[in-house]
Amino acid sequence: MNVAFLLNHAVLNLGKNKGRNILLLGITFAIITAIVVALSIFNATNVVIDETRTSLQSAVRLVSQMQAVGGGQNNTQMIAGNQSQATFTAEELANFANSQFVQGWDLQESPRGTEGIFYLVNPAMLADFEAELRSKGLPENYAVRTDEAAFASIVAPVESLQNLAMTFLVVVVALGAVIMALLSVIAIRERKYEIGVLRAMGLKKQKVAFIIWAETVIITAICFVLGLTAGNFLSQPISDNILAGQLSNAEITATTLAERIANESANGGETPNISGNLQVDIAINFVTAAQILAISLLLASLVGIISVSQITKSEPIKILMERT
Amino acid sequence: MLALKNISYKYEGTNRTIFKDVNLEFSPGKVYTIVGKSGAGKSTLLALLSGLDVATSGEIAYNGENLAKMNRNKYRARQIGMVFQSLNLIPTATALDNIILSMNISGVGGNKPRALELLKTMGISPEKSNRKILKLSGGEQQRIAIARAIAHNPPLIVADEPTGNLDKETESKVLKIFENIAHEQGKCVIIVTHSKRVAAVADEVWHVEKGVFRRFDGTINLPQTQKRRKK
Repeated sequence: MNVAFLLNHAVLNLGKNKGRNILLLGITFAIITAIVVALSIFNATNVVIDETRTSLQSAVRLVSQMQAVGGGQNNTQMIAGNQSQATFTAEELANFANSQFVQGWDLQESPRGTEGIFYLVNPAMLADFEAELRSKGLPENYAVRTDEAAFASIVAPVESLQNLAMTFLVVVVALGAVIMALLSVIAIRERKYEIGVLRAMGLKKQKVAFIIWAETVIITAICFVLGLTAGNFLSQPISDNILAGQLSNAEITATTLAERIANESANGGETPNISGNLQVDIAINFVTAAQILAISLLLASLVGIISVSQITKSEPIKILMERT
Repeated sequence: MLALKNISYKYEGTNRTIFKDVNLEFSPGKVYTIVGKSGAGKSTLLALLSGLDVATSGEIAYNGENLAKMNRNKYRARQIGMVFQSLNLIPTATALDNIILSMNISGVGGNKPRALELLKTMGISPEKSNRKILKLSGGEQQRIAIARAIAHNPPLIVADEPTGNLDKETESKVLKIFENIAHEQGKCVIIVTHSKRVAAVADEVWHVEKGVFRRFDGTINLPQTQKRRKK
């Protein structure tokens, strides 16, 4: 007797007891779809946060310490130098931009004069870049700052969505595990007699457990494909819907922040750059699919372990005598 | 082939003794029947012989080896074919699947033509062979259970009331098969029965009462059919 026979028997068993298997299929499908949605949103928001961090934290401005809102904290809101102070000439800014730490730079005209925005190769190079600027003659009353506030304002709704997705994922996996375990217990009870017969015929406990485990894995695999497809369709609209709610909150925060900046800055504040059309592109990549498969198989194996423990409790003679 | 040495058996958790110091021996090439009243312990004896249960004390030796120390899964799968009183077929599987399953578990491998042939010998047509057990009559199910027990060609066959649901004609055919298996193929067939017709085909008939086994001899009231045959 080989594994092929055991697998074949497991496949044949799926055709029997259609009602029970359809129920199991439906519940597993729902669980996997929910996992797909949650994981897709979670992973996509991670990408958005990382990309935003890279783009915003790589953008560096030279900030007059006099105008920095929130004191001298490095990660506080920054404002570009004001009109009352001497700003830098285009040549000076070009000299500052001529650095191994900078991958590009922009000149930005504002009521305060000409500002330079330097895009670092990597946000981690900020300290090195600042040291280089000091050596090139950047006055001490200018700080070299990234736009943390804008980053936080943009990322806040995405982070909320991410937290929501993670909570949802944990709840779904926990509930899914409990539901599948309960279903497994019920299914084993229903199949107790069949298990008793197989054991009486000399089939080892481990092999009976393998058959039951294989059946669960086959159902899980089918649900994985179906759930992945359904989850792929559902993730984007769900994410857009949640994000829309989060963005309206973020806009209120941004407005408040802008007002605060305006009050504190003699020459008017700069509203953090919050896009009202922020979109998280949800896509199921290989990593997400692998994570879902791993979670699904973990749940299926959990069911298998429960099945084994159930089977080992009963001797075949007792099962058959109970029935008689 | 199979020897019971001072076997005693009590139901777990009770003081009810079913057997005490039973000594029996079963040889290949013979049909044995065990008769007795309901509750006398006939089915318990079969459970012990088939390795489904373990005696409270004593030893069952299979070809000289203590059954309690053997791999009883392997013993049940390969050495023994069982016909249970309640048949114990897998109801959701077809007749054919039940036979092939037994072949696979025993390790001889599923052989569909042989399974169909065996079912045909038992009077189950190929069309009925592909029906689920629940869609077959009691008599058909009983014949399938017998076919399953002999499908993997085991040296020892134990059957608990194997003809209870069969009409006389089918019963005779099935008994003939058991006789052939024992006398022509050299296997050991042990049948528990209430039927005098079944007891009549046995080479040895054992009667059990209050846990004591006695062999039928000339002094004991033999079943009618056996008397007639002796004439």
